[in-house]
Amino acid sequence: MATWGMAMPSWRSWRSWRGAVVPLLLLAAFEWYARTVAASSDTLAPPSAAALAFVKALADGSLLAATGFTLQAAALGLAIGAGLGLSLGVLLGLSRRAAAAGFLAIEVLRPIPSVALIPLAMLVFGFGLTMEVSVVAFATFWPLLILSQAAARQVEPQLLEVAAALQLGLAARTWKVVLPAMLPRLFVALRLGVAIALVVAVTVEIAANPNGMGYALMIAQQSLDPALMLAWLFWIGAVGVAINALALRAQRFAAQRMGEVAA
Amino acid sequence: MKRLRAADLVSSLLVLAGVLALWWLASHQQWISKVFLPTPEAALTSLADGLRHGELAGYTGATVLRMLLGWGLASLLGVLLGALIGSSAAARAWLQPTLEFIRPLPASAMLPLAIALFGLSPTMVLFVVAFGAMWPVLLATVHGFASVHARLREVAGALQLARSAYVLKIGLPNALPDILAGMRLSLTVSLIVAVVGEMIASQAGLGQAILLAARSFRASELFAGVMLLGAIGFASNALLALAEHRLLRWQHP
Amino acid sequence: MASSDTVLRFDAVGIHLGGREILSPTSLTVRRGEFVCIIGPSGCGKTTLLRAAAGFVAPSSGAVLRGGRAVSGPSREVAFVFQDYGRALLPWRSVEGNIALALEAAQVPASLRPARVREVLETVGLTAHAAKFPAQLSGGMQQRVQIARCLAQQPEVMLMDEPFGALDAMTREGLQDELARLVRDTGLTVMFVTHDLEEALYLGDRVVALRANPGPGRPSLARLTDVTIPRPREQLATKEHPDFLRLRRELYGDLGHGHA
Repeated sequence: MATWGMAMPSWRSWRSWRGAVVPLLLLAAFEWYARTVAASSDTLAPPSAAALAFVKALADGSLLAATGFTLQAAALGLAIGAGLGLSLGVLLGLSRRAAAAGFLAIEVLRPIPSVALIPLAMLVFGFGLTMEVSVVAFATFWPLLILSQAAARQVEPQLLEVAAALQLGLAARTWKVVLPAMLPRLFVALRLGVAIALVVAVTVEIAANPNGMGYALMIAQQSLDPALMLAWLFWIGAVGVAINALALRAQRFAAQRMGEVAA
Repeated sequence: MKRLRAADLVSSLLVLAGVLALWWLASHQQWISKVFLPTPEAALTSLADGLRHGELAGYTGATVLRMLLGWGLASLLGVLLGALIGSSAAARAWLQPTLEFIRPLPASAMLPLAIALFGLSPTMVLFVVAFGAMWPVLLATVHGFASVHARLREVAGALQLARSAYVLKIGLPNALPDILAGMRLSLTVSLIVAVVGEMIASQAGLGQAILLAARSFRASELFAGVMLLGAIGFASNALLALAEHRLLRWQHP
Repeated sequence: MASSDTVLRFDAVGIHLGGREILSPTSLTVRRGEFVCIIGPSGCGKTTLLRAAAGFVAPSSGAVLRGGRAVSGPSREVAFVFQDYGRALLPWRSVEGNIALALEAAQVPASLRPARVREVLETVGLTAHAAKFPAQLSGGMQQRVQIARCLAQQPEVMLMDEPFGALDAMTREGLQDELARLVRDTGLTVMFVTHDLEEALYLGDRVVALRANPGPGRPSLARLTDVTIPRPREQLATKEHPDFLRLRRELYGDLGHGHA
C-alpha cells in the first residue's frame, strides 16, 4: 500500500519498535522467574545477574580474548575454505567436463559432517588454533564450492555470446564478463560461509577445543556459574547477529555496485 | 535429473579412484604417519569388524535414532508454529525480530543450558537436537506461508475459502518447497547436534565412539566412524531429496 | 426497469487511494445478460472500479449494490478473472484440480464434482488437457483455465480485468470469440476492463469510458455508449462495419490519445 508523501513519523517508529516487545517481555518474565521461583537454583540466574557477569568478563579482558580467538579461527578457516572452494567451484562451473569428472569424489566426501572431523583434527593438531581452523576450513569449503560452481554456471548465456561476438580472448572474457557477472552470487555464497564459519568455530569449542567463546560457555556451566553462562549465551548470539548483519551489508553493497536491482 | 553420459561416469570414477589411490600411497609410504592416517584397508577392516563383531552397528543406530527423533519432532513443531505465525501478518510483525536473533545462534550452544537443566542424559541431547533443528523448519515455513502471492489470496477470498481450507489447500502447498528445504537443513543440524551432544554428554553413539578412538590413538577406528557418519549424512540427504522430488512433482512435470 | 433485471448498480461510487482521488462518484447499472466494457487511459480507475464491484476494494463514498445489497467483500456469486493468470492458478494442482477448487470452496459434494468439472472443461475446450499442470500450458490455455474456474463458481456476474492483455494477438482473437460464444450460450453477465478500444467494441453491448485525473467539472465517467453493431460478430467483418468505425472514431479521444 503506497503512502505517497504522507509521512507519519510517530506511527512509523511505534511500528518499528514492535519487534522488541516480545523479547523484552520474555526477559522480564525470566527475570521474575529466576528471582522468585528459581531463586536458590544453581542452574539458572536472572538476566540482571547475567548482565553483571557480562560487564565483569568485559572488564577483566576474558570476553574480548575469547571472542578474539573464535573470530580469528573462523576468519582463518573461512579464508582457506572459501579460497579453495571458490577457486575450484569457479573452475568446475566454467568447465562442464571438469564438473562431471569431480562429481563422484565430491558427492562421496561432501556428506561427512564437519563435526565428525573434530576428533581427527584433535588427534593430528592437538588443541588450539590450527585444529579449529582446519575444521572450519573443511566446513566452509563444500558450500562455497557448490555455490560458486552454480554462480559460474548461471552466468547469463547471452553475456557469453556477446563476449564471443566481441571476440574477447579467454583472459579478457573471464576478467571482464564472467567474474563480474558472478560477483553478486559469490557474495551471497560468502555470506553463507561467514555464518557457517562462526557456527562451526563455536561448535568445535563446545565439543573439544579449550579456547574461545564456546569453551567459555561450557566452563561457565561446569563451574555452576549460571549468570556467566547466560551472559556468554547471549553474547554468542549477539556476535552472530552482528557478523551476519555486516556480511549482509557487504553482500548488498556488492550487488548494488554490480548493477543488480535491490532485492 | 541430468542423464549421466558414459564418458562422464568413467572420468568421475577415475577421479574418485585417484583420490583413493592418493590415500593408499600417503598411508603406505608414510607421507603422513599411520597414527593419523590409517591405510584404506585398515580403515575398512575396522569398519567391517566393528559392524559385525563390535558395537559400531549399535552406535550407528543410536546416533541415527537420536537424529531422526529430534528431526521429526522439530519438523512437526516447526511446521505447526510456522504455519500459525506465517499466515498472520500481525504475528510475523511481532515475532520476526526474535526469530531472527535465534537464527544465527549455534544449536550446540544450547547444550550447556540443557545440561544445567536436565543433566547428562539422552533426553537432554534429544531436547537440544529438536530445539536446534526446529528453527530452520520454522523460519522456512513462516517464509513459505508469508510468500503466498497476493493474487492467490484474492482468489481464496473470491471463492470464499474457509480459513482452514485456505491453510491446507493454498498456504501449505505454497510453503511446501520452502518447508522441504528447511527440513533438509534441519536434518544436517540434527546430525551435527546429535554427534556433539554424544561427545560432551558421553552418550553411546558414533560421536562418543570417534572421540574415544581419537583419545586412544586408534586411527582406523576413528576413520571407520567418520565413514559411517558420512554414510548417514549421504543416505539421509538422498532419501529426503527423493521425497522432495516426489512431493514437488508439479515443479518438473 | 424491473429491479431483478439489474445485476450490479454503482451508486455514486467514489474511490480515494493513497491520498488521491482515483475515481470521482460514478453511477451506472449493469443489466442481466449484458456485456459491459470499461475503457480508459492508465490511471483512470477502471481496474479499481472492477475490484470495488468484486469487493476487493471498499469505495470511499457511495456503494456498489448487488441484488439490492451493498457489496462488502468478495463473494462466490461474483467471479473475477485476473490479468496475471499465471499467479491466479495453483501451480501444484492440475487443470482439473484448479477448477475443482471452486467447487470445494462452495462445498459441492465430492460425488458431483467430476461431472461439473468435465462440463466446464468442455465449455472452454480444455478437455484434452485436464491432467496437465499450469506450467505445461500456454498463456492462452492458462487463461482459459482461469475462466473455467470462474464458470465453475456458477456466478451471477463475471468481472474480467484485462484478461487478454498479456497474450499475443492471435491467441487474443481466438479467446475473444470463445468468450463471446460462451456468453451467448450461457447468458452470463460480464464486466470487462480493457485498454484496447477495438476489443471493447468487438465484445461489448455497452462501453463505459473513464477519464484519468478527475476534477471538478471533469467526472471520471466520460461517456456511456451503446454498441449498436449487430451480433454475432466476426473478427474481419465486424471491424469493417460502419458502426464499428464510427464508434471507434468517437471513442478514440477518450482513451487519452492526443492529450497533452
